[in-house]
Amino acid sequence: YRGLSIDFSHLLDESDDYDVIIYAGKEPNVRKFHAHTVILRARSPYFRRALSRDWAKKENGSIVFQKPNIAHEVFDVILKYIYSGTADLLAQEGGIILNLLTASDELVLQELIIYAQD
Amino acid sequence: MSSRKQPKGKIRPPKKPNSADAQFNDNWDRLAQAIREIHKKNASILSFEELYRNAYNMVLHKNGDKLYNGVREVITQHLEEVAVSQVVPAFPLSGASSSQTNPNGAGGANFLKVLKTVWEDHTTCMLMIRDILMYMDRVYAKTANVPLVYDLGLDLFRDTIVRSQNYPIQNHLLEVLLQQIKLERENEIIDRTNVKASIDMLLELTDASTKDTVYATDFENKFLETSSEYYRVEGQMLVGEYDAPEYMKKVDKRLNEEEQRVRHYLSQTTEPKIRNIVEEELISKHLKTVIEMENSGLIPMLRNEKMDDLGRMYKLFGRVVKGHDEMKSAISDYIRELGKAINETVTSNTTAEGGNAASGDKQTGATVAVRWVQEVLDLKDKFDKVQNLALSNDKAFQTSFNEAFEYFINKNSKSPEFISLFIDDNLKKGLKGKTEEEVDSVLDKTITLFRFIGEKDVFERYYKQHLAKRLLLGRSVSDDAERGMIGKLKVECGYQFTTKLEGMFNDMRISSDTMTDFKEYLDKSVLEKPKLDLSVTVLTSTFWPMNLSASPRCNLPPELTKACGTFQNFYLGRHSGRRLTWQSNMGTADIRGSFKARKHELNVSTYQMVILLMFNDKQDGESLSYEQIKGESDIPEADLKRNLQSLACAKYKILVKEPKGKEINPGDQFNFNNDFTAPLQRIKIQTVASKVESEGERKETREKVEEARKHQTEAAIVRIMKDRKTMEHNLLIAEVVKQLQSRFMPNPALIKKRIEALIEREYLERATGDRRVYNYLA
Repeated sequence: YRGLSIDFSHLLDESDDYDVIIYAGKEPNVRKFHAHTVILRARSPYFRRALSRDWAKKENGSIVFQKPNIAHEVFDVILKYIYSGTADLLAQEGGIILNLLTASDELVLQELIIYAQD
Repeated sequence: MSSRKQPKGKIRPPKKPNSADAQFNDNWDRLAQAIREIHKKNASILSFEELYRNAYNMVLHKNGDKLYNGVREVITQHLEEVAVSQVVPAFPLSGASSSQTNPNGAGGANFLKVLKTVWEDHTTCMLMIRDILMYMDRVYAKTANVPLVYDLGLDLFRDTIVRSQNYPIQNHLLEVLLQQIKLERENEIIDRTNVKASIDMLLELTDASTKDTVYATDFENKFLETSSEYYRVEGQMLVGEYDAPEYMKKVDKRLNEEEQRVRHYLSQTTEPKIRNIVEEELISKHLKTVIEMENSGLIPMLRNEKMDDLGRMYKLFGRVVKGHDEMKSAISDYIRELGKAINETVTSNTTAEGGNAASGDKQTGATVAVRWVQEVLDLKDKFDKVQNLALSNDKAFQTSFNEAFEYFINKNSKSPEFISLFIDDNLKKGLKGKTEEEVDSVLDKTITLFRFIGEKDVFERYYKQHLAKRLLLGRSVSDDAERGMIGKLKVECGYQFTTKLEGMFNDMRISSDTMTDFKEYLDKSVLEKPKLDLSVTVLTSTFWPMNLSASPRCNLPPELTKACGTFQNFYLGRHSGRRLTWQSNMGTADIRGSFKARKHELNVSTYQMVILLMFNDKQDGESLSYEQIKGESDIPEADLKRNLQSLACAKYKILVKEPKGKEINPGDQFNFNNDFTAPLQRIKIQTVASKVESEGERKETREKVEEARKHQTEAAIVRIMKDRKTMEHNLLIAEVVKQLQSRFMPNPALIKKRIEALIEREYLERATGDRRVYNYLA
């Protein structure tokens, strides 16, 4: 599935058809991410609910989602993991990994928890 | 809410203990407020991320139980409010007054509608609450072993609304549901959507103690009880008001409606239960009443061949345990009754005939037999049709019908003779103008009656007699037809049954060859040729039904005696050691009679020829008395009377009798009828070929049958004992019965007598020690 994984991660980098904007991190360390609800909802039970019609908030045609309690460095890893199914954990500092574990638990990313623990 | 407990366990990131509590209170307040907003349908102002994070933090900080209980409290409060503000005001006016003021159940329908809205709101809210509390479900509910929040919501709804302790919601709900169903049963249009919503709601709620649905625990039994009562009353009303076909249509409709009802808005698990109730109340309880309804019940349906109604009854009654049994026995009784009536017309006919038996209108005798068989066949046809069109060819019904036919057919002791006569009637040449196919199909049907005969050996005896007459008098419609019939009998009873019949055919064929040879022999020989054409059929005595010992006497004219002698010499010359006995009662003759108007060729029996030839020597007008004819011819009295009757009292009066009359009496005088005229040149004087036997003949046949049975029984005993060598009495009897029952039903006393006879003749002996056991003596 490597090809699939790589192609999907490109979606994240070069996306011009995103439909959700996510702001991760606390002011002033906020970063803006572009993503696709269909992928987020398929991969995470948390996002399945968060981005459902009942809860999603739209601004100018896109859904806007704030995630202030997760640092953007951590969220970056998470988002890549959601898209490609892999995460380059060796390149990360230990502190980030610990935060990654906590965030994965909050977002119910069972797979990533197991991956990070290994 | 605030407590001063120190946090336990490992030291957390720098947070004051107080601030943890404050954090909790703050988080919880927001959540509780959010749930209230959800209840108010104001979710659009809420942030999922924030609420989820609040709940997540509370669970993370070991406040899952507080959160869980808090949620329970908020939801309960809300539902209490809903009960008071929405559900209770929608209560329909209760009891009897409601049906008066609200005959269409509009109040009830509205109540269900309100409940539907309340339920839908609740489930929608619970889905959203479940969304923001997902972390609580995943982490807290699992470890604390409490229901997931959505299920908690269902339980709260059950206890706060459906089974509210404070308001009689449950009573109203059940009452309204049952009332709606009742209205629908009475052909009112109800809003099924609302009923279905409530039913679905009850199906989604679970009873805590039984783990079954609230539908099953609270509703279903009440529904079944009221249905029972409803159909109990309806059943009584319907049987009183409608005839059987209408009644069954109504029941059919009810069954259908209940099935539809279940499909549309009840649980499938209720289907067999409600079906049982309708079947019990509308079918089982009124089985007999409907079957026995005067003018419209089962018997009238059969009488008028109402196949649709019968089919409906079969299908309906098949639903209940006793249904088909009751039908079967009623139909069987009816067949027996009809059969009895057929038998009675025959006996009343024959006894009426008995009065003028001497006049012996024997043709009527055969007609009675043919009519009896035809009526039985018609009856069989009728019930085959019923079986086929209405009873789905149900084997169990067929068996019981067959038993009924067997019963009444064997009640008529003459049935074997009648059936043989009927076949005779159909196989006779040139009768009725039926095509071969028609005759064949009639004979096929006759075989079905033959199967019912218990005394097949008696039938065989009659069949042999009738076949003999057909063959010897040349009256068979065709060899093919005869052989076809024998083939059918062979299929039914096996090879043994028909060997003798086939032997009779063989004799006919050999005789025809013999006659060709005889003619050649006469042509070549120097002997004086007989002055008449003699045709002889040589019959093997064991195949044919003639009685050798009582070989009929008759003084044949000298010419004939001489011709017979010539044949005898020819035949015995070819087959030494055989004995020929002349059966003068069986032959026919072609003679020429000269009457005043013209000459006629007369085809007569041998006896009639003997009688007519006596008049050759007489002057015109000279008469012969009965006694003279009897003395000179030596023909047995019964035969003589019958033949004189054919000559003097039937269609062609070759002789004139004084005094006139239908009966032949001693002292009667006979004259040659010189004035005789007839349109045809060739005339056949009908002899009565087949007839129902007189009482005397019947007794004789009986005796012969009994005698034959003795032999067959002994043969069976010897066969079995030869095989087994030693056998216990009861087992032997059973085996003998088994072997013989295809021909007749031997009674144990007869078998016992035969065993004793065989012991006497030293075929068997009683075992020493056990008198109940026999040994075979080789």
